[in-house]
Amino acid sequence: MKKILALLLAVTIVLSMGMMAGCSGSNNRNAGEFVVPEEGYDGSAVEITFYHTMGAALRDVLDKYILKFNEMYPNITIKHSQVGGYDDVRDQIKTEITVGSQPDIAYCYPDHVALYNKARAVATLDGLIDSQIKVKDAKGNETILGLTAEQKADFIEGYYNEGKSYGDGLMYTMPMSKSTEVLYYNKTFFDKHGLTVPKTWKELEETCAKIKEIDPDSIPLGYDSEANWFITMCEQYGSPYTSATGDHYLFNNDKNKEFVKMFREWYQKGYLTTQELYGAYTSGLFTATEGSKSYMSIGSTGGANHQRPGKDTSGEYLFDVGIAQIPQVDASKPKVISQGPSLVLFKNAANPQKVVASWLFVKYLTTTVEFQAEFSMTSGYAPVLKSVDTIPAYADFLANANGGDNITALSTKVALEQKDAYYVSPAFVGSSTARDEVGALMTAALANADNGDVNALIDGLFKAAIDECEYNG
Amino acid sequence: MVDSKQQWKAWLYLSPAIVLLLVFTVWPIINTVRISLLEGYNSMGASGGDVFNFGFQNFVDVVQYQRFLTCLQNTVLLCVLTVPLSTILALLIAVALNSIRPLQRTLQTIFFLPYVTNSIAIGMVFAAMFNIIGLRPAAGTMMADTWGIINNVITFFGGQPVNWINQGSDYWANMAVMVIYIVWNALPFKILILLGGLQSINKQYYDAARVDGTPRRRVLTKITVPLLSPMLAYVVITGFMGGFKEYSSIVGIFGEKMGPAGAHGSLNTMVGYIYDNIGNQEGRASAAALILFGIILVVTMINLQVSKKRVHY
Amino acid sequence: MANNDNMNVMRDRDLRKVTSSARVGGVFAKIGTYTFLIIMALIVLFPFYWMIISSLKSLDEYRMNVPTFFPQKIMWYNYVEAFNTANLGRLFMNTVFVGVVSTVLSLIITVLSAFAFARLEFKGRELMFGALLATMMIPGELFTITNYATVSEFTKIPALSWMGTNTFGVLIVPFLVSVFYIYLLRQNFLQIPNELYLAAKVDGCGDLKYLWKVMIPLAKPTLISITILKMMGAWNSYIWPRLVANDEAYQLITNGLRNAFTATTGDVNYPLQMAAVAIVSAPLFMVFIFLRKYIMAGVSRSGIKG
Repeated sequence: MKKILALLLAVTIVLSMGMMAGCSGSNNRNAGEFVVPEEGYDGSAVEITFYHTMGAALRDVLDKYILKFNEMYPNITIKHSQVGGYDDVRDQIKTEITVGSQPDIAYCYPDHVALYNKARAVATLDGLIDSQIKVKDAKGNETILGLTAEQKADFIEGYYNEGKSYGDGLMYTMPMSKSTEVLYYNKTFFDKHGLTVPKTWKELEETCAKIKEIDPDSIPLGYDSEANWFITMCEQYGSPYTSATGDHYLFNNDKNKEFVKMFREWYQKGYLTTQELYGAYTSGLFTATEGSKSYMSIGSTGGANHQRPGKDTSGEYLFDVGIAQIPQVDASKPKVISQGPSLVLFKNAANPQKVVASWLFVKYLTTTVEFQAEFSMTSGYAPVLKSVDTIPAYADFLANANGGDNITALSTKVALEQKDAYYVSPAFVGSSTARDEVGALMTAALANADNGDVNALIDGLFKAAIDECEYNG
Repeated sequence: MVDSKQQWKAWLYLSPAIVLLLVFTVWPIINTVRISLLEGYNSMGASGGDVFNFGFQNFVDVVQYQRFLTCLQNTVLLCVLTVPLSTILALLIAVALNSIRPLQRTLQTIFFLPYVTNSIAIGMVFAAMFNIIGLRPAAGTMMADTWGIINNVITFFGGQPVNWINQGSDYWANMAVMVIYIVWNALPFKILILLGGLQSINKQYYDAARVDGTPRRRVLTKITVPLLSPMLAYVVITGFMGGFKEYSSIVGIFGEKMGPAGAHGSLNTMVGYIYDNIGNQEGRASAAALILFGIILVVTMINLQVSKKRVHY
Repeated sequence: MANNDNMNVMRDRDLRKVTSSARVGGVFAKIGTYTFLIIMALIVLFPFYWMIISSLKSLDEYRMNVPTFFPQKIMWYNYVEAFNTANLGRLFMNTVFVGVVSTVLSLIITVLSAFAFARLEFKGRELMFGALLATMMIPGELFTITNYATVSEFTKIPALSWMGTNTFGVLIVPFLVSVFYIYLLRQNFLQIPNELYLAAKVDGCGDLKYLWKVMIPLAKPTLISITILKMMGAWNSYIWPRLVANDEAYQLITNGLRNAFTATTGDVNYPLQMAAVAIVSAPLFMVFIFLRKYIMAGVSRSGIKG
């Protein structure tokens, strides 16, 4: 065995020395912005690969619009595939980047893009968006390659700005379809007991106290995502969370400790719970028919279907669901999180035409109102364009919104109504670690035993979270 | 008595295996060593043209991680607890199966069944069995919406429900669940191998024992175990190798947070650490893999030494 | 041999006497054995049962806080939908093809290697075997990245492109050698008395003939175990196929399954997925029951029994 060890060691050291000499300095990939070719799209035949997470129903919608896109640009072939969930897309592309076989377009979240960008693989969009180069399609229409002023203005600003959250002012992604968090409440119960829907956290505390009096066994509020909660509170208070530049992790401050401590008291009074603490999606608590119940639930607009209660024997829903904006610190300056996939383009040194063609397709998906409307109705996610309600079918969809069969429409409607309140947190390589850590911090801070010293517990949790971020970041 | 004909024949027979191993196993190992010695190496940066210095910083980083000892402790503990337990249980089941007639086929099929079930599904099932939903303090005691099947069984027999995997649960309760799950998972494979081994034992030995009227326990310890020792050695040695690489079973129960709510990472293992770092710190991941390799190597050497003395071929 | 037969007759006569006297103790032992086996069997079965009932629940019932032990309304439709959603036929054929080819090739390589380690004397045998064991000790996850780079290079080389990305070759070749199996079979081969080999050589029997006529029949239970494990491997492999075969023509069953039931929200329809898992497990289960007979028969058929 000793001999084996010695042999293995010797072989590996010799070989790895050789490798080391060979590996450095052979890279000359260009960093920085994507430069649009002077001719714009030259009409050449290209095949574009697009990775996403769409299920069968959404793929059908996509295919339909690819056909329409091809009427304009017959030479651009779109090959798309569902790679799995968002993390699967990220892992797949990450590995493919190492050998240069990444797709041309992909579904993304900001932290994915920060990761790809480390390999300088992302094509930035500023050059394309501002390009005035004329492009002629197969129908003979001539348009500019970039976005017109009207097109830019039609985007919901909060969604559009996500593409610029990378700390260098450059635009990296285009919004595809979005979701946010909303407050689902048991409208039947609220009406019956004369409760008003809380607009601020202060009002929420009072509402919880009243509900506890009416139904002592209940947990008035369920909040699904601990991480979203922490980050949104930072945003609402205007206290630091993270920064894309310089010192990344700024969330260890007194303001944040204060609200965490406040929520801890609420939790200890039995006012609320979270997904992790409850042990299941809190929508289950909200729609429960026996045992303890909640009468409010904060969750994603994308999951509206799960917030709908079951039906009784006569086919009626057990209660009516109302949907409102989540509580705020200052109701006049609301802040709600922006989530959901965006689209990212990858560089292609060998054939910049592929990038331009990809852009044409991305531009088509994100600025075509009909597509955005249909995609939204099928997915339950909000469209990214303000003008969707000019589509009659979509206007109908929103007009028929209710807390029963059309709960998806209702959640989308509420999401669209608060379009000025969206915020995005800075994106950098460690941003997903920060997210995980503050989520864990929140869970532990609400419920863990404090052995008589709350401040020591909370200080310790903040420090541990920061340490973990610094180590990984 | 090494004759030259045997020499070249042996290498000829081994050649397909060697060629494939060189390409798909040895080369990746060498690459791992290389990466572990490039400080702060990450594949994204590398494809973007970053250059990394040669040095041992990755190893320092691994050891200095605030939860390194936790990872190491969990890894060792899980291994030491599950390997003997699953081996003994598998041995007992295999021997029992081999000794009966009626129902033998049915029972055998049942014991192999977990093999044809998807591991994702099983992990979800186990978590659901131990999960308490809505656990919270109420008037001095604890109340919950769903106690989970396991606690239902415990209370049925008059016991107190246990907080197995939820917020505020005890480390040892978590460990108990992990041990049960891992042993459950490991059983079919071990039963399969040991039963295969048992079937190969010449029946004459048992006949002789029966003539002599040897008690069952003596038959087990004096005949079955020694004759089965090559297979037992195999099961134990590979069990330890696998046990040190425990990871997916913990994800199955606790999710990628590797611990109960409020104590994330408290059940993380060495391979868990490696996975966490494959994302953007492959240098550290490689260094941790080599550290783990060192540990497994030492344990395997001890195992081989022991088995050399105890195994009868 | 004749001598041996006489011995057996004598032994049988003695046996009858012994068994009758030990019968009373035997009954208790039998009851104990059965109780133990049945309790263990129930424990082993439970999650399996859970998978089946989950596959028959509606999504709403599945998500209920208080889990039900039997579906309130049996949703056979889940099976129909699972079958229709994923392109199961194609995925199936691919998986069977990859499974069978890799099992056969892998068995050949394993048998030859194990034979060399168990029977042939050659310089550096212990060293070689030790090195082989050592390769099992590094977590394999780290290999994926390097191997992916390797097969991507293969794609560019015409002579090796049959095992480049998006080929059946790439799904089979990297996993043909398993040190686990070589080790397992070597342990088994070592149990076969060396005298048989030497005798065979004196009789002028070649290595391969000896392997085929003596060693393989004797090691049959182990070889069948390896076959089962290898087939399972093809059935359960996920990360590698996803990485190297994103072309639908080469996708394997788990990849197809995983994608088919994930909605845009990343929310998985578990009842449907469980139904799909049950569907794809069924053939494997059949094969399993079929092979179990051979595991049993392994010994009695081998020519060596006294």
